[in-house]
Amino acid sequence: MINLQPYGNPMYFVYLLVGLLPLMIGLYFGKRFVVYQTIISAIFLLLIFGGSKWQQGLALIGYIVYQFIVVGGYAVYKRRANQTWVFVCTVILSIIPLVIVKITPAIQVGRQSLIGFLGISYLTFKSVQMVMEMRDGTIKKFDPIMFARFLLFFPTISSGPIDRYRRFQHDYIQIPDRKHYLQMLDKAVHYIFLGFLYKFILSYLFGTMMLPKIAHIAIMHREAFFHTGISLALVGYMYTYSMYLFFDFAGYSLFAVAASYLMGIETPMNFNQPFKAHNIKDFWNRWHMTLSFWFRDFIFMRLTFFIMKHRLIKNRKRIPQVAYLANFLIMGFWHGVTWYYIVYGLFHAGAIIINDYWLGFKKKHRQLPHNRLTEGIAIFITFNVVCFSFLIFSGFLNTLWFSAR
Amino acid sequence: MKTKGKLWLIFGPVIIAAGLLILLLSLPIGFGHFNSQTEKKAAVSLSPKVFRGRKIKQQALENGYVPFFGSSELSRLDEFHPSVLAAKYHRSYRPFLLGNAGSQSLTHYFTMQNLGTQLKGKKVIFIISPQWFTKEGQRPDAFGFYYSPLQTIDWIINAKNDTADRYAAKRLLEMPSGRSSEIGEAALENVEHGKPVSEFQKMFLKFKETILLNEDSLFSRFQLNNNLAKVQKGEKSLPAHYSISKLNHLAVKVGRRETTNNKLGIKNTFYKTRLSGNRIKDLKDSQTKLDYRRSPEYSDFELVLNQFAKWHVNVQFIIPPINARWADYTGLSIPMIRQTDQKIEYQLRQQGFNNVLDLSDYGNEKYFMEDTIHLGWRGWLKVDQTVNPFLTNKQPQPNYIIQNRFFSKNWQNTVKNE
Repeated sequence: MINLQPYGNPMYFVYLLVGLLPLMIGLYFGKRFVVYQTIISAIFLLLIFGGSKWQQGLALIGYIVYQFIVVGGYAVYKRRANQTWVFVCTVILSIIPLVIVKITPAIQVGRQSLIGFLGISYLTFKSVQMVMEMRDGTIKKFDPIMFARFLLFFPTISSGPIDRYRRFQHDYIQIPDRKHYLQMLDKAVHYIFLGFLYKFILSYLFGTMMLPKIAHIAIMHREAFFHTGISLALVGYMYTYSMYLFFDFAGYSLFAVAASYLMGIETPMNFNQPFKAHNIKDFWNRWHMTLSFWFRDFIFMRLTFFIMKHRLIKNRKRIPQVAYLANFLIMGFWHGVTWYYIVYGLFHAGAIIINDYWLGFKKKHRQLPHNRLTEGIAIFITFNVVCFSFLIFSGFLNTLWFSAR
Repeated sequence: MKTKGKLWLIFGPVIIAAGLLILLLSLPIGFGHFNSQTEKKAAVSLSPKVFRGRKIKQQALENGYVPFFGSSELSRLDEFHPSVLAAKYHRSYRPFLLGNAGSQSLTHYFTMQNLGTQLKGKKVIFIISPQWFTKEGQRPDAFGFYYSPLQTIDWIINAKNDTADRYAAKRLLEMPSGRSSEIGEAALENVEHGKPVSEFQKMFLKFKETILLNEDSLFSRFQLNNNLAKVQKGEKSLPAHYSISKLNHLAVKVGRRETTNNKLGIKNTFYKTRLSGNRIKDLKDSQTKLDYRRSPEYSDFELVLNQFAKWHVNVQFIIPPINARWADYTGLSIPMIRQTDQKIEYQLRQQGFNNVLDLSDYGNEKYFMEDTIHLGWRGWLKVDQTVNPFLTNKQPQPNYIIQNRFFSKNWQNTVKNE
């Protein structure tokens, strides 16, 4: 049995286009072939999670059944009552599989959990979001079939972008008119080719051609600068890795968005020229946007309200700082239970708190100059802070300091 | 009508681009000729891209290049390396280096698959290292690194139902690379079980071959590294006229100059980057358990011999020594090495491969080895004294008698006693 990794090679795009063509013709004429879309989605899921990855496929099925019980159960309960503790328990239950998958490799070194599969985090984000919005009352009716379509939407199943249920539902039901659909097709073709440039050329150049060589040189210099390993090669690694990370992930995201567009679903964009950010806050509005907005809406905002409502912290300035810290710490743990992901989270929390102080200072001192030069300096500083955080994120320091010795 | 025009604006360029790409890759075009500079670069590049390809190799071998099969020692491009000596002293041949770290018999067997026309009745050099003959034999990851779908297809299309080809198919299927394409895998299974490759499989593989060939001739000239600069630098430090005593003198001088930071006779740069600090301590007595006498590699090697015999290739084999001080330090058993060399030599001579230069007694010679197991300075000069006359002078036609017993498990596990 064949196994296909999403967007892994040019052939995948040929299969994708052939598979989606009937659907596209339907949408062009204002119809969504629901049965066809269900069948073709099942085939693609089978190709992604079948063959040598069949264990992941089983894990996915188990996971879906589990989330249906949790989310569906909460929907049934919510019609009758609205206790906070039930809500909290439901969220915890919804997260538990992901927690197990993330903690397993940290406890049993190198072991992967049996219940894990490609994309489990992204499905968890979608499920938790459902529970929270049902609590808020913004999602009133639990439609199991639409929920399944939302969770298992194959273009974004492996690594996002993370869509929102109500938006997805709207697009699924409301077929775009021909003019709008043509615009979407136009964008989709553009995104796919931009994605080719990002993922198959630039990411290959930085990640496959350059990175191993620079890593090798940096490891050769691991005794440099008083045994810290700080060398020019390490700086080179930092920038090369940052470029690789961006082009790889942004390329992938472009493919996922483009495939969604072909299917008449306007999955939100994930990146918006992040290296042009003027400060860290701006950066998180441009980098992995669907993730950072998810964290903003479902962790940061909720925590801030919670603290204010219960008056847990008196000093108003401290509230966002605590919320940032919690927000980024959770994001760090989500990436994986290793010291470098957690430090990465703390680093960004620190950076964004310092940034808040600076913005406050700027507000008080209106006479500070603001021109193209200062903007350039701001972009330069932000870029370097971000690249440094990616060096932490890469785990290369772990190799350099601990495992290569 | 208006929206149809728009559709064409969106998808027209994609359709045209895809059509052009398919035409470019699927038509048997061939795409011209490589210039001699590209040949020169490719011959010393030691790049897996060159090993995997076909066109550069074919063209170079038609223009006086001679294949030097080997492994990591080929990358020791000091001033006495065969490629440097051949260029400096305007020999009638130029080495085309085929092999690098991790390339062993199975890789070489497939590398030569599409060189039949160029190799028939010709001479080649084959450096065979005892280190290949580990208990596990060819490492699948290293094989994958040099694996060429093109050569595999060329091999499958010409495969016959005989012991050698069935054995090769079996070995290939033991590697993940051999199972990387569905139809190729099915065809290999047919060969393994003595069944013919189906017409559909052949048609598909031939179509894929055309695409791979076009890719090869379009792209293999790019990104050749600059090993050639090392060769040219080496040429400059050699005496203008060939003199064995002068060269030997120089080799001693260079060797002495470059082995000053350790007592094992290992080149400074190698020692510093690979062995210094605690690493050298950890390696003390680390090789006491190594045994090269029993290995699947012996049968893989037989595949190579079988191919040479089929094409009547005249081969000069070279068995390099191991740095004796290194062997002593790491506890590598010298009797075991001796028995390994004898087993290899037995396999060669039994089948009529009589050009064997066994250097295993030279492990103690100063400046013979560049580091642990790789020939260097004086070692290369010694090799040259056999290789140069072998390639320059006319040689009698060899008479090979291939024996299938060397493909057996029994032979893989036989230890030859003195």
